Amino acid sequence: MLTNFPELIRLLASSGVEFIIVGGAAAIVHGSARATKDLDLVYRRTRENVARLVVALASYDPYPRGAPPGLPFKWDEHTIWNGCNFTLITSLGAVDLLGEITGGGSYDDLLPDAVRLQLFGVECWCLRLERLIQVKRAAGRPKDFEAIAELEAILEERRRVNSTS
Amino acid sequence: MYQLEMLTDPDPVIEAYKKDIDRTLIRENLRLTVEQRFEELMRWQEFAAELRRAGRQAAERCSPTSPN
Repeated sequence: MLTNFPELIRLLASSGVEFIIVGGAAAIVHGSARATKDLDLVYRRTRENVARLVVALASYDPYPRGAPPGLPFKWDEHTIWNGCNFTLITSLGAVDLLGEITGGGSYDDLLPDAVRLQLFGVECWCLRLERLIQVKRAAGRPKDFEAIAELEAILEERRRVNSTS
Repeated sequence: MYQLEMLTDPDPVIEAYKKDIDRTLIRENLRLTVEQRFEELMRWQEFAAELRRAGRQAAERCSPTSPN
């Protein structure tokens, strides 16, 4: 199933959900040529925001990605408060809803290092490139080594362009 | 608050990976808008899905249990 990045971002932002784009989608924002299949978001864990998140995705059949069908999974506020990070498949594609991330913390921890984007007709936050690199470094996963190398190369390219302009 | 200085310490493992990064692709991407980068990603998704479909179809045709 393909992930409809524009529709997911538009849906959540227009529903008033507070989130920060992180992971592979944030890397795309910053210029990565690496493909990603899912939209990774750090959402704010407040009562109001969790309620908005539940309402926004309710019509799009959220379900734990890769889990066998028929699990007693109920998409509601109680489920979100009982967990933290959710890897979901929806009818708009794959979305990871993260209450916090390794090396980065929560929405409020990350927000000072996020940039505001005008994207697909809405406004949303995306983690800054430098912070994205730091978070991926902190996670220390071997599968991220190549991605980190590319992000650092992007940072170098940006600095090169800025120094010559 | 995050310290930018942390990034100035090169990690030798990452430096080794960096040698193989195709910077021409990065430079091309940096010329695009953010929305254009997502459009490229979605085109790639469609392309990959089509390749997977064709691969499955070919594998079924080559299968010894295939009726063809």
